[in-house]
Order: sequence, then structure tokens, then C-alpha cells
Amino acid sequence: MTNHVRLLASASALAVVALGATPALAAGTASGTTITNNVSVDFKVGGISQTTSTASNTFKVDRKIIFTVAEDGSSTTSVTPGSTAQVTTFVVTNTSNATLDFSLAAAQLSSGASGAHSNTDSYDVTNLAVYADVNGNGSYDPGTDTRTFVDELAADSSVRVFIVGDTPLATANGSVAAVRLTAVGRESGSAGTLGAAITEDTGANQQNAVDTVFADTGRDNSESALDDYTVSAATLSVTKTSAVISDPVNNTTNPKMIPGAVVEYCITVANASGAATATNVTVTDSLPANTTYVNSSIYVDGDASCANGSLGGSQSGGVVTAPLSDIAGGATRSARFRVTVN
Amino acid sequence: MKLILGLAAFLTPAAALAAPEVSISSTAFVEHIVKDAAGTLKTVLEPPKMVTPGDHVVFVLTYRNGGSQPATGFVINNPLPASVSFESSEGAQPIVSVDGGRSWGALASLKVAQADGTLRPATPADVTHLRWTFAAIAPGQAGKLSFRGVVK
Repeated sequence: MTNHVRLLASASALAVVALGATPALAAGTASGTTITNNVSVDFKVGGISQTTSTASNTFKVDRKIIFTVAEDGSSTTSVTPGSTAQVTTFVVTNTSNATLDFSLAAAQLSSGASGAHSNTDSYDVTNLAVYADVNGNGSYDPGTDTRTFVDELAADSSVRVFIVGDTPLATANGSVAAVRLTAVGRESGSAGTLGAAITEDTGANQQNAVDTVFADTGRDNSESALDDYTVSAATLSVTKTSAVISDPVNNTTNPKMIPGAVVEYCITVANASGAATATNVTVTDSLPANTTYVNSSIYVDGDASCANGSLGGSQSGGVVTAPLSDIAGGATRSARFRVTVN
Repeated sequence: MKLILGLAAFLTPAAALAAPEVSISSTAFVEHIVKDAAGTLKTVLEPPKMVTPGDHVVFVLTYRNGGSQPATGFVINNPLPASVSFESSEGAQPIVSVDGGRSWGALASLKVAQADGTLRPATPADVTHLRWTFAAIAPGQAGKLSFRGVVK
């Protein structure tokens, strides 16, 4: 015989449970839940229905601590030398069947250690700090995200955590600072306060009391992940050359450096291939002794051969100032000007 | 006052007479995987002292007819505990309900309505109640039933 179950609009709560069992959350039944089994027997003796006989037994669901720490996203944080409070972001996910606090620790890897993106650590950030994403907006807000631990993270919930650090000014392009975030589960219950350390129950367990078991990777109530900073810096090299253009005797044929000769100075600024674009580049050069500036002779944004470019810059008090346009990695710009030998 | 005392005196012996002829008990066990001396993994049943979500639990029901007469129309009803999802039963197979106890049948024959109104076969996870029926249990006869579930 086939029984067809039709669930009516007025289905009871139990019937709704039957409607394709609600998918269980990863954390599962809350720690401390009492599971009670009730069984009853109906029977007749001599054809007469007897009092139903019943029995029950209970046990408590224990606390299973399991959680993960992972890098948020999959790329390094690109930083400029001299930048402060740059952020690497992590996600702490609590799949325990209980709310927990988590203590947080940020650590730097040593030079030569593997970073998080097939790279190698080569510098340390300064002013290393760690903060939880208090306002839950996914980005680091310095005045608001000031709490240094994870507070009251519910079962099947996650929160972002930020490691911040400064990159020293002279750090070379491509340098990597790898950092590790470690989270350790703590008791919860008091919002705003980091709870006590948790000890696993290794002694005799109790059927109707709540014990704790560590079920995280390594079963040690501690999880960590790596992320890193990669420096994106301009790497400029500057060269200065000079050439005699003309002299009063030879004019432009093999001119010599004699009084009255016109000398052209050229300063090239090259940015290494793969480096970050250099902006706000200004060449400043003092006129050599015994020379006189040739008015309006400054050309800016010339090429590596000191040709082309356009009139620009200025001279004042014996100092030439020549601003250059942005220099991309692999590109070279030059500035040139002329003086006469006194 | 005197009448009430009299009634109380009458009721007490009646309670003693109501001792059930049929007894039933329910015991739970949790399955744990342990390594034996040879290092082989084995599944053992232990008292449910350490149970966490995802663990498999086994409930063992023991019944006995301790009376001097046969017990007929013997029906054992066991609603699934909240937080336990039914998986299987060993030995005598129960009929089940997936609609909170309103209708019953073999699990393979039951269907559940989906959100779009179509029916799909019921699965063990849909089970809400278990029931075993015996025509008669002789005096002195006892038996064990069991079912296995997973802690949600």
C-alpha cells in the first residue's frame, strides 16, 4: 500500500520538519542541548487496553570546538615605501556548536621564509598590530576597529580580522613582508571582554554535563594563516652628462671648453623595469661655478638620448628646477639646459 | 476533612496495583571509532558521555511482558528526539511517519511534498516517528529493538 503524504497549508510544526529536512548548519546542535528519547508501549490484556507504559533516557550534546583562519582574498597587499597602517585581511570562521571568543596574535615571518603567494619574506613591517572588524563592514576603520580580539562569535558565523603595519621608506621594490595571524578559542559570555582560556576535558566525560572537545586541525584549539605585503616602489637611477655645444673660436666643429663656450648638461632619470610609476619627479641642479645660465634653455621630458622634450622648468639663484612628467617602470625621461663658460 | 482523608487512604493501595505488566526501557549509545591493538580502526558503541554534532547514536529499546497473560495489540511508539536525524534500524523493522505521526508506512512507500507541490520519495532524514507492532507478546517474552541516527 502506498501512502501519499500531502502537506496542507495548515501543517503542524512537525509536518513542516518532514518537508525535506531543513539542511543542518555546519555547527549543528548547540552545545548543552539535552537529547531525550521517549518511548511508549500500548497493549491489551484480555482484550482490554492497559495503561500506556513509557520510558525515556537523556544525554547532553557536548561542545565541539572547530574553526578556521584564512586569508581573505587571494592576493598580496601592495604597499609603497613609507606607507603606514597598511592592511592584510583574514577571515575567522566559527563552526563550533557554541559561541566563542578568540584571542588574536600577529607575527612576522623571518627573512627567507615562504610567504602566502609563492614569494619569499625579505623585510619586516613596523608598528605591527591586529584588530577585529568591529563594525563588520569588511574594511579597516582605524577609529572604530580597535578591539584586539574576536568577541562573542556565534556558531556558523565569521568575522574579518586585520593585521596592519608600516613599510619603511627605503624598502626596495618587490620586497615581501609575510605575516601570520593566529587565533585561539576562548570562553565567551561577557561581551566586550576576552573570555578565559578553554581546557579540553580529557578526564572521564559525563553523560549529562557538557564536555569540550577540540576538533580543529591539529586538535589544539589554535588556527593560523599567512598573508603578505609586497612593496611596489619606483627604482630611479639618475645620470648627468655634459657636452660642449660650441665655442667662440671653433663654433660647432669640435668645440672646446674655453671661455664663452656653450655647454649643455643633461640629466636622465630612468625607472627600472617592473617598478612602480614615479610621480612628482623634479630634477634640481645647481649651476657649476664659473658658468652663466643661458636663458630659456631648459627642456623637460626629453628622452633617454637627451633629445626632444619641450621648453619648461625655471632657473633662479643658480639653481635649475626641471619638473618631469610621471615616469613608468622601464621608461626614462630627461631634462637638459645650457650654460656658457665665463 | 474526614472524607478527603478517606479517599487518600483508598488511592494509595490503588497506585500499587497499577504496576505495569509490560516494561520498556530506552538506552542510548554513541558510536566512536577507536584503534585496536593492531592499529585497525573499529567502530564501538559507548555510553553517550561525549557526543557532538555529526556523531552517530544508537537507541536500544528493551521490552518485556512480565505479566501472566499475553499482551496483544502491542505497539511501541518512538518519536525521533529533536536534534537526531533517523538513519536506519536493525532487527525488527519499524513503520515510520514523515508527517508528525498522522500517517504511517514503510519508509520506501512514503512520499513527501516539495515546495513546488510535486512529490518525492521520503528519505530517512524525513522520518519523525517510529512504530513497531506485534500481534502478541507471550508472558515472560522479552525483546530488543534498536535504531540509529545522527546528531544534527
